[in-house]
Amino acid sequence: MKRTLLAACAATLLLATSACGLGSESTGSEGPVSRVPELKPDQKVSIVFESYNFGQAGAWTDTFNELIAAFEKQHPNISVTAQKPQGNSANPATDTISSLQSQLTAGSPPDVVQLGFSDLDFTVNQLKALPLDDLVGKDAVQANFDGEQYPYAESARTLGDWNGKTYGVPFVFSTPMLYYNKQLFTQAGLDPENPPATWAEVRDAAKTIQQRTGKGGAYVDCLTKAAKDWCFQALVRSNGGRVLSEDRSTLTFAEEPSVEVVRVMQDMVKAGAMPNRTQMQAVESFARGDLGMILESSAIQGTFLKGAGDRWELGAAAMPSFDGKQAVPTNSGAALFVFSKDAAKQRAAWELIRFLTSERAYTTIATKIGYLPLRTGLVDDPDGLKQWAGENPYLEPNLKQLEHLEPWVSMPGANYLQIRDGMMQAVENAVYQGADPAESLRSVQEEATGLMQGGGK
Amino acid sequence: MTTEVVGESSRARRLGGHVVLGLLSLVCVFPIYWLYATSLRAPQDVSSLSVLPWPLSTASYTEAFAKNDVLGMLVNTGVVAVFSALGQLLVALLAAYAFAAWRFPFQRLLYLMFVGTWLVPFQATMLPNYVLLSRLGLLETLAGVIVPTLCSALGVLLLREHLNSFPKELLDAARMDGRTSWSALWTVVVPTLRPALAALGILLAISAWNEYFWPAMVLQRSNAVVQLGLRSFMGTEGNDWGPLMATAGLACLPVFALYLVLQRHIVNAFVRSGLK
Repeated sequence: MKRTLLAACAATLLLATSACGLGSESTGSEGPVSRVPELKPDQKVSIVFESYNFGQAGAWTDTFNELIAAFEKQHPNISVTAQKPQGNSANPATDTISSLQSQLTAGSPPDVVQLGFSDLDFTVNQLKALPLDDLVGKDAVQANFDGEQYPYAESARTLGDWNGKTYGVPFVFSTPMLYYNKQLFTQAGLDPENPPATWAEVRDAAKTIQQRTGKGGAYVDCLTKAAKDWCFQALVRSNGGRVLSEDRSTLTFAEEPSVEVVRVMQDMVKAGAMPNRTQMQAVESFARGDLGMILESSAIQGTFLKGAGDRWELGAAAMPSFDGKQAVPTNSGAALFVFSKDAAKQRAAWELIRFLTSERAYTTIATKIGYLPLRTGLVDDPDGLKQWAGENPYLEPNLKQLEHLEPWVSMPGANYLQIRDGMMQAVENAVYQGADPAESLRSVQEEATGLMQGGGK
Repeated sequence: MTTEVVGESSRARRLGGHVVLGLLSLVCVFPIYWLYATSLRAPQDVSSLSVLPWPLSTASYTEAFAKNDVLGMLVNTGVVAVFSALGQLLVALLAAYAFAAWRFPFQRLLYLMFVGTWLVPFQATMLPNYVLLSRLGLLETLAGVIVPTLCSALGVLLLREHLNSFPKELLDAARMDGRTSWSALWTVVVPTLRPALAALGILLAISAWNEYFWPAMVLQRSNAVVQLGLRSFMGTEGNDWGPLMATAGLACLPVFALYLVLQRHIVNAFVRSGLK
C-alpha cells in the first residue's frame, strides 16, 4: 500500500510540475515589432476576437455579433470568429488573463482581446501585447482617437498606454456612481432631489434611513476582495492618497489617506449605517428596494432599473467626496489589445479595433448595452446619441465624472493579483470584521512589497 | 440492564432520528424549491424573498428560450453524457476484464498506474489535454468534450473489484466449451455484471451531464452544453436570475426523470462507488 501511494504521489508530482512548466512559458511574441503593411485588395484574412461580452447572453452577445457582422460586410476579405474567455468563473471577465495564457501556451492566441485595465502591467510586460504605435504608427493610433467627428474623452485616451506607447485602445468602461432609492429617501424624510455629496452626508443619511425605515442604509462596493480594487482606488485618490507610488516602485496603500478611508468605512459599519453584506447580497437587496444607497459601477444600472420597475424610483449622483476635497473617480472596464503573430492578421486586427471604437459602433453599443460612449460628443449629436441621452437621466452625472477621471492603476509585476487581492482582503477584514485599519494594511503592504521585488521582470 | 429500557429508548431514538432526517431533507429540498419558485416569479419580483411566488409568470422561461437555444443545448448535453458514459464503460470493462482474467508481466504496476491517474487532479492534466486537442483540431467540437473523458480510472477500479469476485470456474467452463475470451466476455461476464454496469453507467452519465469545467475550456465559441448556457446569464453587469433559474430548472429535469425511473439503480451506484 505504501508503494502504491508513493508511485501515485510521484506520478502526481511529475504531471503537476510539467503543467507548471507549460504555464510559465506562456508569453506572447518577443522582439521588435515592425510596421505592418496594409492588406492587399484581394488578400483574405481570418482573425479571432476574444471578449468577455460573448460570455453573457442577451444584449451583450447580440450587440457584438451584430457589430461583427457589420464589420465583415464593410471588410469582405476579413472574417472574424468571436469567442468568450475559457474558464469556470461565474463572471467571464475574471477569466480573461488565464484564458489568454493557455491559448498562448497552445501557440494560437486570439488576435484581438478585450482585457481589463487592472491587468495592464501584466498584459504589456508578461503577455507581451503588441505596441500599436509600432504596429500601425503613432499617427494612425492618434487619428483613431480623434475620430471622424467626435474625439475620445481626453482622460480616456491614455488609459491603455505604457511608457508613452499605446498598447490598448480603451473600449468600454464605467465609473463609480452613488445610486439611491428615492422612495426610501422620502420615507425617511430626506430630500430625494438632493442626494448626499460627501461621505459625512452619506453616513448621516444612511443612519436616518436605517432608523426611520428599518431598511439598510448605504453600501460601498469597493471594500471586499471580490469587488477588486478599482473603486477603492477612487476612494483613496479622492482622499489625496495613492495605492502605488507614481513611479510604480513602492506600495503606498498603508499610508494615512488610505487608512483614513478604511476607518471612515469601518465606522459606517460599526454605526449600523452600512450593512455587513457581500457585493452580491447588497446589489440584490438594493434592486429589491431594501437598501437606501449603493456606490456601484454604472454598468450595473440595468439590474437596478429592472428591480425598481414601477415600485420605486432610482436616483443617481456623482461619487461623494471627502470633506473639502475633490472626488476622483477611477474607471473600471477594458481595452482592446492585439496578440496576432502574422502581419496580415495584425493589420486585420487593427481594422477591427478601429471599427469597434468608431462613432458608429459606440452609438450601437451605448443604445443597446448602455455602456458609456467614450466619444462623448456623440451625446449632443441628433443623429447620434442625443435622443438616447435625453431618455437616460442617469447619464449626465456619469459623463461629468469623466472630467476628473484617473486611471485604475494595475499592480506591478507577475504577482500583481496577489498584491491586489491581499490589499483588498486587508480592507475587507478591517471594514467588515473589525480589524485595526492601520495595522492590517501595514502588515499586508509589507508582505506584498516582498512579492513585488521577487515578481517583476 | 433491562430490555424494556432499551426498547423505550430505541423507539425514542428512532423518532428523534426521523425528526432529524426530516429536517435535513427539508434543508436539502428547500434550495431546489427556491430554484423553481424563482424561475416562476415575474421579472420584477425575481429578487423578492416571499416564499410563494405570486403572481406566477413564465416570463423567465420565455426569456431563456429567446436568449439561448435551450433545446439544442439539452440535446447536445444528452449526446455528451451518453457517449461519455458508454465510452467509459467500454474502456473500463475491457481493462478490468484483462486485469481480472489474466496474469501478465507488470500487471501490478499497470494497475497502479491506472489508480495513479485517479489521484492526479484534473487541473494538472487540463493544459496538456487542451494542447493535445488543439493539435488534433478537436477544439470547439462535442468530440473534444467527450474524448478526454473516455478512460476513467474510477470505472476500471470498480469493475475490477466486481470481476475479482466473479467465479473463475465460469470462465474456465466457457473456455472448455471452446469460447474465445472475447466471446466469453460478452456471453458470460457482461450478463452477470449487468447490474454493476448499469449502476456505473448512470453514475457516469449524471456526472458528464453536470460537468462544467472541461466543456468551458473546449467550447469557447458557443454555449453548446446546458451548463455553459447557465453561465451566460451571469456577468460583469449583474446576474439575470430569472432565465438563469429557468434554465437550471430545465437542466435538472432529465436527471430527475432518470432518477424516478431508475431510483434503485442510482442509489445502488452511489453506494457502490462510495462517492457522491
